[in-house]
Amino acid sequence: MASAMSRRGGGKIRAPRRGLNGADVDFQTTWIVLETAFREIHTKNASALSFEELYRNAYKLVLKKQGEELYKRVAEFEEQWLGSTVRKEIVQTLSAPLMVNEGAGRTLATANERRQAGEKFLRRLKQSWEDHQVCMGMLTDVLMYMDRVYCTDHRQPSIFAKSMGLFRDQILRTPLSQHQPNLLDVLTRIILDQIQMDRDGENIDPFLIKSNVYMLEGLYESDVEAEDDKLYLKSFELEFLQQSAEFYREEGARLLKESDAGTYCRHAKRRIDEENDRCRSTLTESTSPKIVRVVEDELIRNKMKGLIEMESGVAFMVDNEKLHELNLVFDLEARVDPKKPELTRAMQKIIAEMGTNINNAAIAASEAPQVQTEAPAAEEDDGKARTASVKPLNQQTAAALKWVEEILALKDRFDNICKESFKTQSVDQALSTAINRSMADVINAFSRGSEYISLFIDDNMKRGIKDKTEAEVDLMLEKAIMVLRYLQDKDIFETYYKKHLCKRLLLKKSVSVEVEKQMISRMKVELGNSFTLKFEAMFKDMTLSEELSNGYKKHAAGVADLNDSKGIELSIKVLTSMTWPLEAFRSGIEGDNDGIRPQIIYPPAIRRVKEGFERFYSQKHSGRKLTWHNNMGDALLKARFPHSKATVHDVECSTYAMLILLLFEDLPNGSTLSFEEIEAATNIPLDDLKRNLQSLAVAPKTRFLVKTPMSREIKPGDRFRYNENFVSNVRRIRVGVVSAGNKVEGDRERKETEKKNNEDRKFQIEAAIVRIMKQRKELAHAQLLTETLTQLSHQFKPDVNMIKKRIEGLIEREYLERMDEAPVPSYRYLA
Amino acid sequence: MADTVLGKHQLEKALYEENKAVSSGQLKEENPLDTSTEFRIFCEACRRGDLRVCQEQISKGININARDQFDYTPLILASLCGHYEVAQMLLEQGARCERDTFQGERCLYNALNDRIRNLLLSYDFSKSTDLLQPLAAHMTSLLTRETPMTADIAVHTGDTTLNLHKFILSARSPYFASKLAAAPETTTWKLANTIPSQSFETCIRYLYLGDVGADLGEGDEEQAILTGIDKLSKQLEVPQLFDNILQSGDRRQARQRRTEELEKSSEQITTWFQRNVLKYKVFVDSEKADGVKWDRNNGIFADVLLRADEDEEVEAEVEESESSDESPQIRRTEGPLNGIPIGNFAQQTSRSPSRRRRPKRSVLFPCHRAMLLRSELFATMFASPFREGQESEHLHIVPLDCSPEVLEVILTFLYTEKADFGLHLALDVLHAADMLFIEKLKQRAALLISTLGNGNASVVESENPRGVTGAEEEEEVINIYDVIRAGWDTRVHRLEEFGARFIAYRLEGYIDEPEFRTLVRESAARIKGRQETDTVELVDDIRYYLSDRFRLRFEDSGLDEMMDESTAGPEGADDGGGLESRVEKLAVHDDEGYSGSSPENDAVGQDAAAWEAAQQGVVRTLDGEVAGDEFAQDALNYQILLAKIDTLMETLGLDG
Repeated sequence: MASAMSRRGGGKIRAPRRGLNGADVDFQTTWIVLETAFREIHTKNASALSFEELYRNAYKLVLKKQGEELYKRVAEFEEQWLGSTVRKEIVQTLSAPLMVNEGAGRTLATANERRQAGEKFLRRLKQSWEDHQVCMGMLTDVLMYMDRVYCTDHRQPSIFAKSMGLFRDQILRTPLSQHQPNLLDVLTRIILDQIQMDRDGENIDPFLIKSNVYMLEGLYESDVEAEDDKLYLKSFELEFLQQSAEFYREEGARLLKESDAGTYCRHAKRRIDEENDRCRSTLTESTSPKIVRVVEDELIRNKMKGLIEMESGVAFMVDNEKLHELNLVFDLEARVDPKKPELTRAMQKIIAEMGTNINNAAIAASEAPQVQTEAPAAEEDDGKARTASVKPLNQQTAAALKWVEEILALKDRFDNICKESFKTQSVDQALSTAINRSMADVINAFSRGSEYISLFIDDNMKRGIKDKTEAEVDLMLEKAIMVLRYLQDKDIFETYYKKHLCKRLLLKKSVSVEVEKQMISRMKVELGNSFTLKFEAMFKDMTLSEELSNGYKKHAAGVADLNDSKGIELSIKVLTSMTWPLEAFRSGIEGDNDGIRPQIIYPPAIRRVKEGFERFYSQKHSGRKLTWHNNMGDALLKARFPHSKATVHDVECSTYAMLILLLFEDLPNGSTLSFEEIEAATNIPLDDLKRNLQSLAVAPKTRFLVKTPMSREIKPGDRFRYNENFVSNVRRIRVGVVSAGNKVEGDRERKETEKKNNEDRKFQIEAAIVRIMKQRKELAHAQLLTETLTQLSHQFKPDVNMIKKRIEGLIEREYLERMDEAPVPSYRYLA
Repeated sequence: MADTVLGKHQLEKALYEENKAVSSGQLKEENPLDTSTEFRIFCEACRRGDLRVCQEQISKGININARDQFDYTPLILASLCGHYEVAQMLLEQGARCERDTFQGERCLYNALNDRIRNLLLSYDFSKSTDLLQPLAAHMTSLLTRETPMTADIAVHTGDTTLNLHKFILSARSPYFASKLAAAPETTTWKLANTIPSQSFETCIRYLYLGDVGADLGEGDEEQAILTGIDKLSKQLEVPQLFDNILQSGDRRQARQRRTEELEKSSEQITTWFQRNVLKYKVFVDSEKADGVKWDRNNGIFADVLLRADEDEEVEAEVEESESSDESPQIRRTEGPLNGIPIGNFAQQTSRSPSRRRRPKRSVLFPCHRAMLLRSELFATMFASPFREGQESEHLHIVPLDCSPEVLEVILTFLYTEKADFGLHLALDVLHAADMLFIEKLKQRAALLISTLGNGNASVVESENPRGVTGAEEEEEVINIYDVIRAGWDTRVHRLEEFGARFIAYRLEGYIDEPEFRTLVRESAARIKGRQETDTVELVDDIRYYLSDRFRLRFEDSGLDEMMDESTAGPEGADDGGGLESRVEKLAVHDDEGYSGSSPENDAVGQDAAAWEAAQQGVVRTLDGEVAGDEFAQDALNYQILLAKIDTLMETLGLDG
């Protein structure tokens, strides 16, 4: 009927002339043609075959709905071919050395024999696989239409995939004989054996193994060909990883026992590189991360602790500056864990230990001379007195300096380790912060830290930076700031620094004001504006005072009343009472009778000057009250001693000493004044008076007065007279006053400072709480605590109990109230 | 692609600029005005969704992207009127709908529903490019393709060697054409050292239809390359190349230039193809076909011969051609010969296309493997280690299981991307394309069948639920059984659908044929391992289209309600009236615009006449019973046909 249709004239559709309605193709004949051709292909005889002919035959079969039969036959053909011909060839290559190691152990055949036998087998298998691939490629070409049409329609795997499955089943999965392993197991074992040889340093043929691995990668567990179901992944890789894990576990344990940490690191590193290379050259890239992980697990992750704690472990390396080996350890741990917990812990422990040593040494050093402090002060009566009184101070300061230097050295050392050893591209952040944190812990664990740092700066300001280049000075400043950065209780430091700074400024001990200012500006950068506010105010007072003095001088020149004050020059420092820690100059005893300080009695000339200035000042700044701190002043006197070479000596002394000396000015020669008389005439505080008299009557170089009886101690009832016989070679004589320098505080003083500091903190905390509450109005207790802590963190770390007490205090004073209705304890701000 | 629709002001600005560019001659108008009658018919067909007329007009070579006097393009009309199939057909054959152009946005905006809108978007220019692009892409890819090796001339420039194809060079460059005509055996060509190799590479890309331009280096280098290109473009006599490179412009201009360039190039290739490949095809007796020997060095640079046997006697042919294929082949070497067809006709005297009528004749086409590679089968064949993939002294003869006409169609498509062939070849082409894995050609054949296959009964008239009239059935142009089977065999779903629809609209004519019964059985067998609940695809489709055929009636009033009313209700009368007015309207259209010359119009006229006749006469159902009116008749007919299908299924023992 089709032909009837096609008979119709042009312009009309014609039935397809062939294929559809043509005579049925005889399956058997066609198949024989194809089968013969396939056999030729498998025996590598294909070059004479016509592609078109084969394709046409297959095409027709499929078109005639015989695709299924064709597919089945092709599969059968392949199965048979593989099962008989190919398999036989491969099994033949299995020789004795390969089979014996089955039960009897490996020793029966030497490695060399096994290797050669194995390579023979691998070579054959590889050849068979490649042949199979090529042949199936050709078959696929010919059967293209079947693949596209029949296989797609009927959801069959392509003939290529099918035949790969056949290869797997026929060649690899079929057992050699009963109770024997199949070729896949044999193959796996041989490859593993060869890899083991490779690890032991023998030469193997990587390409041969690689091509076999390639085969395993090309095959799948089932015909579905899911990517995760590669035969390689499912069978070989598992075994490989397991065997490797065992191997490395043993090797790692052995190495930890036998070699030192550096060698271990190097070895582990080499092994990882080796395995990486092996994956590339012998196995497949995709295994690389897995095997590396195995090696890392076995050689690093599980052994890291042991490695670090080894005798030649990290502590040893740090002690001996083995930076390169530290780097190795670092690299190793970096591989397994970017956080490097073990190494961090180890480093922190080492720092903590070293830091504790330094702290203990500092305490020991500061306590040892403490005993001496009292003893030498009075006993020595000549030149030694001065040095002796300085020496213990120096020892104290030296302890502070030593501490700071050592802390800095420690930091430098670990910075260096960080820089040299703990880096990948840049210095490892986590580790260096951990080290910094440990440093901070060390510094803050030392109770005198704040004071020592301040002392360190003080010492440098006074002596250290003399004759140093700018760069060195800079370095010193930088160091100081560095340590300061770690310090937690910055407010205590502030107190100390203020005290020290104050003394430096007033006593003009500072080497360079420039450097002082630099220091302040650095602190400003580091710790913020508010921190240096008071320091800056101190400097400001200094400059203002200078102007004021000059102004007064000009003023005095014009005022007749002051002219007759015998040319007394006044240099004055007006200090703002809040910013200057003037109590630093008061001795402890004096502090007690603060309120009832007796008025000092001045000689008339001096008093005139004083009053003159007071008038001058109140003109300029009305409403301000001046309090005179005579104990801090000093004076320059001109004195004549008949027997001395120089006719006039310049005597530099404290204001008190001046007052005392002036008493003797008008006294006739040989007259004496008793201690009580002097006290009555000057009203100088007892303690100061004693000290000053000591310098004037006891110290050999400045013995302007003669004391009866001659003794070191000044006692009530002693009498003093002008020393006519005073002789000195130098024109300018400086009268030292016992105890004026900065020294480490005694326990009592420290407690004092602490108490004061705590008072300050109370206010700070309250201020912070009120600030927070004012803004938030209502806040839960826990939140308030954390916010307060953060607000204050740049000043100091407040005690939680203290905060609680402050909150109580604020509630009492009705700044806050407890919120009864809140689910968690909360407060409300009362405006 | 930006999802945001352009704002009105943006569109207006773009339109203004476009108009300016067009009027200044910078741009070619994408949618030129076309007021010809043919175009109006075409537009009308798009409006009504008449697939067949559309396809006919397209085949006549109408500009598918033109616009009518109301500024409508066919695509806009089709999408505005909601004819999904027509829109799809238009897009498949090159109708443009590009975002960011005025007409494109208008088209998208006007689309009747989301389905059509999405269709339009999926054909956006940025995704589907020029129709010639696949050809160009293939040609360009030849430059880098390594297996199978198809190049036959090595061109040495200063530092590189390019392996090229003589036939492409010769087709594209007059210079090469004359050089190679003089010495077709040339296998190397040396380029003057002074010309930078990059210049030459650019020229070659151009000759191979690649995109040229873009990056040509910096400063002096660029200058040198440009100079080189200038020189070469003169030497190779391809002046457009240099002009093209120098011209720059916006995306659209560049694209337009490229389109023009591609058209021109494909024209060149087509001409060359016709003047060489087709001209030198060899007619020979099938028995002697395998003895034909062509030397490798021939004037048209062919490197393979394709053989197709003429079909004199369909039944006998298959076996005979097969037997001739398998017959032992004797190869004899001849002395090297240049030039056109060299045959070894030891026993034959004549090599000319003989006029004698012989029972078995074959045609040999000298071809170029480089082009045949576009078929996956050939690509595999020439890359395989089989005989066809090996070098040999004489050209391989590859027999193909199709007629010479079909082979010519296929070759034309492979060389030129053109697929114009008659309906009578469509099924053969479909099969051959399937065998050769040329998907595009397959689709074209299927398109042809499904659009023209309806014969004179266009879709519009097929909406007539009363089926096609007897007169039309006589003129049926296709064997629908073959079409459906071909659709199954070649996995072209479109044909299955077409077939089901075709049958549904003429079911009364087919339902009782034994062949139809066989077809249903075959369809049922197509599902492996049938389950109780499985349906027969073909029957399902037919049922669907059957409801489609009658749906027009029942949508408004509800089927059940209508079934209850055996007598003609007032709605029925109204409906009848409505139909009448529709006919009248069509007639009015006729008077107004149509010259009445097109067959489609004639059909409408006839149809209308038949309607009037039917309305005057007694309305009868398919059973011959008298029905109240057409409306009742439809309802009854629908039931009758459904019942017939059920009976058929029962007798075949199938569920569904």
